[in-house]
Amino acid sequence: MDELELLKKDWEKSIKNYPSLSKEEIYSLISRRSSSIVKWIFIISVLEFSLWTLLSFGLDGSSEAYEKIGSYGYEFIIYPLVGISYIVIFGFMYLFYKNYRNISVTENTKVLMERILKTRKTVKQYVIYNITVMYLGIILGVIMELSSNSEIHILISDIKSKGENGIYIFYLIVAVLSLIAMALITMFFLGFYYLIYGLLLKRLKVNYKELKKLDHGE
Amino acid sequence: MKSDSEHSFVELLQKHQNIVHKICRIYTDNEHAHNDLFQEISIQLWKAFPKFRGDSKFSTWMYRVGLNTAITLYRKSLRTIKSQPIESVAYKLSYQDYDDTKDQQLKMIYAAVKKLNDIDKGIIFLYLESKNYKEISDTLGISEVNARVRMNRIKTKLKTQLNA
Repeated sequence: MDELELLKKDWEKSIKNYPSLSKEEIYSLISRRSSSIVKWIFIISVLEFSLWTLLSFGLDGSSEAYEKIGSYGYEFIIYPLVGISYIVIFGFMYLFYKNYRNISVTENTKVLMERILKTRKTVKQYVIYNITVMYLGIILGVIMELSSNSEIHILISDIKSKGENGIYIFYLIVAVLSLIAMALITMFFLGFYYLIYGLLLKRLKVNYKELKKLDHGE
Repeated sequence: MKSDSEHSFVELLQKHQNIVHKICRIYTDNEHAHNDLFQEISIQLWKAFPKFRGDSKFSTWMYRVGLNTAITLYRKSLRTIKSQPIESVAYKLSYQDYDDTKDQQLKMIYAAVKKLNDIDKGIIFLYLESKNYKEISDTLGISEVNARVRMNRIKTKLKTQLNA
């Protein structure tokens, strides 16, 4: 007999082997908490939004930093940037919420997977945006310090007085240190996301790839 | 106080619970995992119940939500890490389904099915449930032609594995 026919016959017979849960047992089951990946994605995403929002408005927005920037005469750059940041974060949160609400287990498998991946993508873009802002912050910070900090001005003229090449080495050191800071930030977040994706979305991605392959008739 | 909708849901799920057991059988390989997945599917069905409009059969709707949970939403490893309370209803389940198959050939077929990927398991599950290719393609979101092609490939794959 064909293997699948044999399996099908046994499959139909196997019904009698399954336990029969009582209504009380089912009531108890559905009162438990879900542990689905969508729930975890929601929790992790909300944490990410909170973390980055705190970082951008809590730390950067400290009055000391503002006073310093103000004393350098750079308010004209910083205030519009802060304003834009607020608009951007609300935009991302709205998109995330909209995508999250669109996830429905009653859609077909492919659509469900696509919506989950889309929701994650919004959060990922938000994080990329924040890292970019952080890079810009570093670059802007270095430029501001170099051009406006009186102690650094003294240091620069001191170096210049000792010889011509010294100043190039000084700028080189500043550039290298800034690059190292950016590289460390990137590595930290890449590692962090690799972990999250590895834990949470690996299986979904494998299955989604399989469905896509299948849809291309492969 | 339990609502009317909760009453009707529990009644429907109790009546059709075999569908969930069968999904668990395809996607898990031990009793603990079976119970765990059964619980998650029940929760997802209940959460999605307000969206069930009754224009399709409850059982048909269950196939979709159940398979989506097994393939996409279910997270095995975190559950295993998180210890479950001993008094869990699910633990009280006992049945002889696993390791009960006496027939050596059948055992080998089941073992070969377990080796398939999640999507192929879904296709073979719907096939075993006598669903046609239209229903298989609607559930998974692929074309009917591709569902048919894949089913043939699964048959060949199983044959090759069994004759190896």
